[in-house]
Amino acid sequence: MSRVLRTALTGAAAVIVFSGTAWIVAAQSRPGDAPTLQAQGRGGGRGRDAGPALPTPRLPDGTVNFGRIPGEKGVWAVPYITNMAMRVVGDDGQLLPAIQQTQNAARGAGAGGRGAGGGGGGRGGSKSEPWMPWMPWSAAVYDYNSKNESKYDPEGYCLPPGGPRMMATPYQMEIIQQPEHKRIMMIFEGATHIWREIYMDGRSFPEGDALNPTYLGYSVGKWDGDTLVVENKGFNENSWLDYFGHPHTDQMQVIERWTRPNKSTLHYQATVTDPGAYTRPFTIAWDIPWREDGELPEYICQENNRYLHRLEDDFGQPIFGPRPQPGQKPSTGTR
Amino acid sequence: MLLAPSGAWAQFGHPLKGQWSGQWGPSDNPKRLLLDLHWDGKDITGVVNPGEEAAAVKSVTFDYSNPSAWKVKFTAEGKDKSGKPVAISVDGTLENIGAYNKLFHGTWVEGGQKGDFTLTRN
Repeated sequence: MSRVLRTALTGAAAVIVFSGTAWIVAAQSRPGDAPTLQAQGRGGGRGRDAGPALPTPRLPDGTVNFGRIPGEKGVWAVPYITNMAMRVVGDDGQLLPAIQQTQNAARGAGAGGRGAGGGGGGRGGSKSEPWMPWMPWSAAVYDYNSKNESKYDPEGYCLPPGGPRMMATPYQMEIIQQPEHKRIMMIFEGATHIWREIYMDGRSFPEGDALNPTYLGYSVGKWDGDTLVVENKGFNENSWLDYFGHPHTDQMQVIERWTRPNKSTLHYQATVTDPGAYTRPFTIAWDIPWREDGELPEYICQENNRYLHRLEDDFGQPIFGPRPQPGQKPSTGTR
Repeated sequence: MLLAPSGAWAQFGHPLKGQWSGQWGPSDNPKRLLLDLHWDGKDITGVVNPGEEAAAVKSVTFDYSNPSAWKVKFTAEGKDKSGKPVAISVDGTLENIGAYNKLFHGTWVEGGQKGDFTLTRN
């Protein structure tokens, strides 16, 4: 076994394949889905048992270095966040009190899973997340995705996560700064081996048809002190915000704020504005730990993805591959 | 193995947005239907049968009581080839919402005629 199973939780949803070995990245229904920022080790992502946090690395010009120190290894170990609604923060950067209360109630109930109003990441649908600025249709779509346990999750098809979900898909990631080219590259092991290019040259966004809708959108960044601020527009509608199935539209815009408070911690914050799906903006945040000995391995999601062959629509018809002939029994269920 | 999906993938924005094709009326004499619908964050807009006999979609309403089968009603107004006004009234159900081949079906009333319609998202 050449890989480490990073996530094996209950309620399987998407089968993802690593170099010929299938791993199940699964939905979870347990109270630990949404730990507080502090519990994640903000300000000391390497772990509180690992001693004092090492200082933030910097490039020769003093800019924060979001990548490796020359001569060392290291990657960012992106966490698996299945439900972004449980990561919504207020103006103070802390989880909303309503979310903390939901988590506490779930822990008190000893489960927090299904039927517990969505506490701790259960599938309670839109009513379990009253702090989300739903539109009627987006709430209905979310309820639909909750009801069918996210069987249509496009990431299960090996399509790229869109927008902030890139930072919630549990694979490794590198940030490579190229100040000489006035750009920053982000390379992701997972999510179909995809990359982002963040333009740091002060350019404006393309307008009209020139802003071609894509999974990751068009990214323009700038420095605000030690914070990298990235504005993103031009998303297509081929992705979900998260595994739980929060929808978005092509009207979505995302402003990301990245900081590295110490060597071992990347703090990610994203403000999502989507007037097509939500009545007001909301901000989500979490920490991403540094894996000191990590390197980006090869990972091909499409290889031997058997999940697709078992996936059926609401009428029991296979979504991929040949449809059954008259009189032929459809294939088995979706899992 | 490179997968070549026959069903392609879905569009996950507003489920009614997009291009739809199908027919309405009696099975022995069906009439072609094309819908081109948009969602601007407030309203669904669009046209029925884009072209010379296009009818503008108006007043779309939804009932989300069943998340898996939305009830959708809308009216549309246009003109036929002779310039005579045509009113359309649609009462349907949107199903298979998460899949690529979304289904919109129900009752179609146009110019005094009434019949069943079926549309699938292109």
